[in-house]
Amino acid sequence: MNLRRLFDPDSIAVIGASATEGKLGYEAMKNVADFAGPLHPVNPNAEGAVFGHAFVDRVGDIEDTVDLALIAVPAPAVPDVIAECGEAGVGGAIVYAGGFAEVDERGEQLQERLAEAANAHDVAVLGPNISGYFMPHQGIYTSFASNPDVVQPGNVAVVAQSGGIAHSLAFQGVNDDWGFSGIVPLGNRAVIDFPPVIEYFDSDPRTDAILLHVEGTADARAMLETCRDVETPVAALPVGEHDVDEFAASHTGALTGDFDLYEAGFRQYGTPVLRSTTGLLDAGHALANAPIPDGTNVGVVTGQAGPGIVIADRLQGHGATLPALAEETQETISAVLPGITYAENPVDTGRPMPEFPDLVEAVARDDAIDAVLVYMVYEEAAGFPPSGIAGLPTELGTPIVFATDGPEAFVEDSLDAMEDGGVPSYLTPERGADALAALLEYGRLNRDGGGE
Amino acid sequence: MSGPIETARDEGRRSLTEAEAKKLLDDAGVEVPAFREVDTEDEAVVAAESIGYPVVAKVASPEVQHKSEWGDGAGVALGLDSAEAVREAAAKILDRAAEAAIEASVLVEAAADVDAGTEVIVGGVRKRSFGPTVLVGLGGVFTEVLEDVSHRLAPVDRDEARAAIDELAGAQLLAGYRGHPAADLDALAGVVVTVGDLLEAHDGVAEIDVNPVLATEDGAVALDALVLLTEDA
Repeated sequence: MNLRRLFDPDSIAVIGASATEGKLGYEAMKNVADFAGPLHPVNPNAEGAVFGHAFVDRVGDIEDTVDLALIAVPAPAVPDVIAECGEAGVGGAIVYAGGFAEVDERGEQLQERLAEAANAHDVAVLGPNISGYFMPHQGIYTSFASNPDVVQPGNVAVVAQSGGIAHSLAFQGVNDDWGFSGIVPLGNRAVIDFPPVIEYFDSDPRTDAILLHVEGTADARAMLETCRDVETPVAALPVGEHDVDEFAASHTGALTGDFDLYEAGFRQYGTPVLRSTTGLLDAGHALANAPIPDGTNVGVVTGQAGPGIVIADRLQGHGATLPALAEETQETISAVLPGITYAENPVDTGRPMPEFPDLVEAVARDDAIDAVLVYMVYEEAAGFPPSGIAGLPTELGTPIVFATDGPEAFVEDSLDAMEDGGVPSYLTPERGADALAALLEYGRLNRDGGGE
Repeated sequence: MSGPIETARDEGRRSLTEAEAKKLLDDAGVEVPAFREVDTEDEAVVAAESIGYPVVAKVASPEVQHKSEWGDGAGVALGLDSAEAVREAAAKILDRAAEAAIEASVLVEAAADVDAGTEVIVGGVRKRSFGPTVLVGLGGVFTEVLEDVSHRLAPVDRDEARAAIDELAGAQLLAGYRGHPAADLDALAGVVVTVGDLLEAHDGVAEIDVNPVLATEDGAVALDALVLLTEDA
C-alpha cells in the first residue's frame, strides 16, 4: 500500500464537513483551511460554503482526483464512506471516529468492515480512533489540539500508537525548538500498522531519524524486522512493562512477557530502546543530527567539575568508556592552557576559558575518542557559548553533544546556533548524557556483527 | 518422518515425556546424561549397571509433569549408588503409579555432579505476535525471584546467544569468580541456538524448557527438559 497520497496529498476532501462551529466536521475543515491545494467539503445536507470552499454532496461528485479524505462521520457510517472514497479514486483517508475495536464486539465487526472496504479499494486508511497527523513540511495539521501549526518542520519522524503520545512529543518538540518531518498516530491500526509508515519515513529524504511509541501490535515480528531492514536510524519507546502473561504453562512462558520481547527484539534488530517520552525525543534528535560514532569511547569536556562527574557516571552506567587521552592530546591541552585543572578525561577547565572550543577539537581529534560530550553552564565570562564547536562534527566526523544549564530564554539562541553546526544540544547534564548514550547504543547495535 | 512430536500428537498428548524431550535435544546436538527408560525393577538395575553408578531414577509418564512433587516424593530419587537402591526406587515409582492408575515407566539416568557447575535455564516459547523466541537465565533463585533472564527472537546465531548470556546481571557467576572455573559459555550458547532452531523447525512445538542446564567448564548438559506442543497440529 503506497502512503504517498495519504501523507503528502495534493488535494483534500473533508467528508462530513460542517459550517457549524464546534462540530467535528467544522474543526476538521478548520485544521486544513489553509491547505495550499484544492480542498473540498463534502456533505449532502449542507449548502453554500465553509472557509470559502463550496460544499459538494458526494466525494464522487468532485471533478479532480482527491488524494486524502478526512472522514468526520460517526463510526457506523465509516465503512460505506470508505467504499465510496475508494470508488472515487481517493488514495488515503484519516478516520477520526472512535467506537470500533476499542469498545466492543460490534465495534470490532465495524472495524473489520472498514478494513475490508479499504483493502478492496486500496485506500490507505489511518486509524480509526485517532486525532490526525502533523506534516509540518506540507503545512498539514489534521490534529484537533489547539494551535497545532506551532509544530515546526524538521528531520525527525514520530510513529505513535497513541494520539496522546503523538501530541506529547509534538509539543515537547515545540518547547525544545525542534521540528518534525511528520508525526503520525496509528490508533486502532485497522489497515495501516507500523511497517508501512516506518518504510514511508525511511524513504522520505526529509527524515533522518524515526521514533516509535509501541503499546503492542498483532504482528510484532513484522514491525521489528522492518526496523532491522530500514536504513534510517530508529529508536523506540515500548510500554507495558508490568503487563504479565497469565496463561503460560512453562517457566519460560511465564518469564517471557511481551514487553521483554519488544525490548530485546528492538535491540537485537538494531533499535535503541528508551524509557521515557523525553528520552525518546532526545535520542531521536541526536540520531537525526549527529554522525553515528564508531565506538563507545567518550571524551568529556566540561567547564564545571560537578556536572562533568554526573555526566561521566551516567555515561559509564550506559556502558560507555572514558579512556585516557593520548599523550599528544594532553600536550595540546597543556599548551592551550598550562596548569589546567584536570587534563585527563573528563577534561575539566574549571575557569574562564575562551579557548574552550580548541580543547574540544583536540579531544575530538584524539584517535581513542569516538564521541565528545561538552558541558558548560550559562556564564558568558567563562566563554559561553562555546560557538567554535559548531561545525566540528561535520569537519571531523566525530559526534559532539552539548549540554548546558541556564535560563531557556537566554540560552536558546546559542543552542540553535550549536544545532545548526551539527551539535545536538540539551538542557541538563542528564539529558545530554542520555542522548549521547542512545547514539552510542545505536552505533554499537548496528556495527558489523550486529547484536549486543 | 515420524519423531516423538508426531508420536505424542498421535496419542493425543500436549507434551513430550522427559525421555522424548531429551532425545529431541540429543539428536539436535545438545549434551544430555546417558539415560534409559524401563518398565520393571529388573530392567532398572540392568540399565543402572550399564550406565554406571551413581544414577537417578525418575517417574516417566505423560501424565506427570512435576516429577519431584509427584507420589509424595517418590517421583525423583537422586544419588542411587547400588543395585538395591535402584531396585527400591524403581519399585516405589511403579507402585505409586499403579496406585494412581496411571501408565508410567522409570527413567534411569546418569547422575550429574551439580556442584561441578552452575544451573542455567534455557527456554523457548512461540508467541503469536513474535513467533519463536528464546530465553536464557541463571537457575533457581536468580530466575524465580530476580527474573534475571534475557530474551531474543529466534533464530539466533552463537554470537547473539553469547550476547544474551553476557548481558545477564549474574553473568559473572558463569564467567568464573572466587576460584570457581569459568563455564564453557560457547557450549551454553550452543544450547540457546539449538532451542531456537528447534522452535523454528517444528511448528508444532509451543514451548521448550531446558531447566536446568548444568553449565560446567567442560560443557553444558541438559539435566531436565519439558516440551509442550501447540493446541492445533
